[in-house]
Amino acid sequence: MVKGLIDSKRLWPVLGIFVILLILPPLHAPRFYIYILSLMFVTSLLAMSLNLTVGYGGMFQFHHCAFYGVGAYTFALMLTKTSLPMWVGFIAGPIAAAVVGLLIGWFCVRLTQLYFGMLQISLGSLIWAIVFRWYNFTGGDDGIHGIPRPSILSSSNNTYYFILLVLVICLAALYTIVKSPFGATLQAIRDNPQRCEAVGINVRRHQLIAIVIATFFAGIAGDLFVVLERSVFPDLLFWTLSLEIFIMCLLGGWFTFAGPMLGAAIIVALRTFVGKYTEYWTLILGVILILLIFFLPEGVMGYLLRISKSASQRISGRSQVDAASRGHA
Amino acid sequence: MLGQGFSFAALSSQFLVGLSRAMILFVVCAGLSFVLGVLRVPNVAHGALYMIGAFSAYSISTLFGNSSTGFWLTLILAPLVVALVSLIAERVLFCHLYQREHLMLLLFTFALSLILGDLVKLVWGATYRSVLAPAVLRGSIFILGSPFPRYNLFLLTVGPLVAAGLWFFTNKTKMGKIARAAAVDREMVGALGINVSWVFAAAFVIGCYLAGLGGALVAPTVSVTLGMDHTIIIEAFLIVTIGGLGNIWGALVGSLIFGVTQALGVLFWPQFAIVFPYAAVVIVLLLRPRGLLKSVW
Amino acid sequence: MLQVEAMHKSFGDFAAVYGANLNVERGELVAVIGPNGAGKTTLFNLITGQLRPDKGKIVFKGEEISGLPPYEICKRGIGRSFQIVNIFPRLTVFENVQVAVLSQQRKSSNLFSPAQNLAVEETNRILESVGLSHKAGSIAGSLSHGDQKVLEIAIALGNEPELLILDEPTAGMSPEETTATMELIKQLAEEQGLTILFCEHDMEMVFDIAQSIMVMHHGQTLIQGKPEEVRENKEVQEAYLGLDAAQPNGGEVDA
Repeated sequence: MVKGLIDSKRLWPVLGIFVILLILPPLHAPRFYIYILSLMFVTSLLAMSLNLTVGYGGMFQFHHCAFYGVGAYTFALMLTKTSLPMWVGFIAGPIAAAVVGLLIGWFCVRLTQLYFGMLQISLGSLIWAIVFRWYNFTGGDDGIHGIPRPSILSSSNNTYYFILLVLVICLAALYTIVKSPFGATLQAIRDNPQRCEAVGINVRRHQLIAIVIATFFAGIAGDLFVVLERSVFPDLLFWTLSLEIFIMCLLGGWFTFAGPMLGAAIIVALRTFVGKYTEYWTLILGVILILLIFFLPEGVMGYLLRISKSASQRISGRSQVDAASRGHA
Repeated sequence: MLGQGFSFAALSSQFLVGLSRAMILFVVCAGLSFVLGVLRVPNVAHGALYMIGAFSAYSISTLFGNSSTGFWLTLILAPLVVALVSLIAERVLFCHLYQREHLMLLLFTFALSLILGDLVKLVWGATYRSVLAPAVLRGSIFILGSPFPRYNLFLLTVGPLVAAGLWFFTNKTKMGKIARAAAVDREMVGALGINVSWVFAAAFVIGCYLAGLGGALVAPTVSVTLGMDHTIIIEAFLIVTIGGLGNIWGALVGSLIFGVTQALGVLFWPQFAIVFPYAAVVIVLLLRPRGLLKSVW
Repeated sequence: MLQVEAMHKSFGDFAAVYGANLNVERGELVAVIGPNGAGKTTLFNLITGQLRPDKGKIVFKGEEISGLPPYEICKRGIGRSFQIVNIFPRLTVFENVQVAVLSQQRKSSNLFSPAQNLAVEETNRILESVGLSHKAGSIAGSLSHGDQKVLEIAIALGNEPELLILDEPTAGMSPEETTATMELIKQLAEEQGLTILFCEHDMEMVFDIAQSIMVMHHGQTLIQGKPEEVRENKEVQEAYLGLDAAQPNGGEVDA
């Protein structure tokens, strides 16, 4: 059923219904749920941006949150230290993230796999260390709090709609990119970089462009975080958060488009509701990850797609048998 | 901004402090490098195991009434506790993943780090602990005109001992040579009739033992708290990256660079002392992205 | 069109290629033969840029290309298929070839148009010419070995190469598949005017279709010439202990 949906022209109306459903909560649900949904949106965008490099690009992007944090801090600093209007800071966030992505990425694409990942952790951690210690500028380990929001976004409902709007726009952009020749080539690079070189593709440059795009969207996610939480802190740049986002992609299914979103939503939901009953959420996250690795490495979405594919094959196989028995070839 | 005293005494004293810190880093990073070399996986749980080593050191030495002999026993027993924990994790879960792609192994070690981190919270709680050094190692002696903690001197002897032990193990013992061979070509080693799974188990446990030893050694010098795992694992990752993935001597070089730059950083710019070693790492990586020494594979 | 002069490449102490020469004229069908370990694949890797030469020159259409990265060499008009099947296993057959065509059309970095609408005609044309049209929607990893090797060639064709280099195109194929592939190669040379350089162990095929044969042994070029010349040559006969040069069709080499 799922695959049928995705293939057919019924996809867009279904999506439309889904989006409309998402428009409803602020009208009825309590504020806490609005907040959780907003947080899910922000995290989803971050996970989707990571998946461009990991799921579609096959790169070991181990410290994606460094760019997320750069975006968030840039926006926060522009809002608190300058009197420039909000939209300037909002654009500055992803641009800063993408510039840092370009710098770090330029070194990383020269290496493969594990070296790529370890180098990124190293360079990203340097950024964390600087932010952590530069008390006068970034607030050090306290972070920056009480960041002003423009008046139109002062209510949590309006914040919700704004975040949803930005998310939808970004998703549309990411979908276009993934379906474009750039995306097709990126996936080919993931599967066989050597063959791509032999076919005339400058693999390093292509990967670097993918990193810049992914970090740009991570920066937007950072902006949205600031809008939602009105604060930033060094934990946003810490490398364990990067691996948590990785888990979200894995949980949702990193070879699918919507998988990471699903993974992000599940983890945020679990974290919130489990966190109410126990302070050992980290332990539970670890157990979830182990279960995933052993039993569901393709993620929830991947699993659903697989069973729906085999279900539809069984159905078409049955109809073929029916046709044969009626004397048709 | 700039710290006190560029006197030769202050400089050399701080240099020695950096060296002693480097020794602990080396013990931990040697373990990480060893696992990385043989299994080709960076053990994200290494920091958590180090933390368990430190907390175990606290419990064991408290058991012996914080006596001096208690401390020496702690140094023997605490790493063994950590080795046992790692053995359980390996035999029950990890070994089933050896056929999977490396990324899965890495994610497993990450899951393990999350679980062990919270387990420490469960068992020992959130308050911080301290461990007393044995009487003979307390206090300072004067070196080159500055007071130098006796315990640091002890560390300066332990480091080379561990290094010598590892060298002997990897070069002179049969098991060590097999481990080195498995690092380079595990299929070949398997074809020779050696149970590669056991080689991996042994390498993993040895590496984790070293993490535990590092934790036990560091316990008297810091407050043993939650979050130790996070700080040490980043440092360890950086060090093995600049040393050359899987190369134990690279871990030594990296630890020296890291420890000394950090200590000197404290002297010159206390607020941003942490930036010094990180900047050194960045410079090394810009010039030699694959690390200073050759990676094992 | 392609000249390789005094090529040298060593891996540590092992000299894989030690003074190899090769000359390929436009429109020719040239084969490189030699026992296993003679250095044929290494030579191909040097020509297409996967390896950098230690010494020597490679000149293509008058331009020196030694040491350039593979994607630059490809852009200059050299296409290549690999000895060990080197396709995109997770993509469909159509997408496999499409990637190459998109690269040829310089559209790989296009971020905005949907890929499924681009390069459709060209991709289908190539698939038809190699006989894989009916499998266009199948996942490449699920194809039989023989079909995968044909897909190899199709991907290389996606770049509209002037010189097509095929590394053991029939390795591991059944006799029917081998004959079909031979026909395909002949057809590509004759109908599309491609210059083709290939290496093979199947001597029957080589002596049947090649116009010029270069023999390699221990990394060196023994001789390059027309099939009859090569067959008569004493050194070649010595190098190939299994080669029965008296037979008119040659024999299979014991690989």
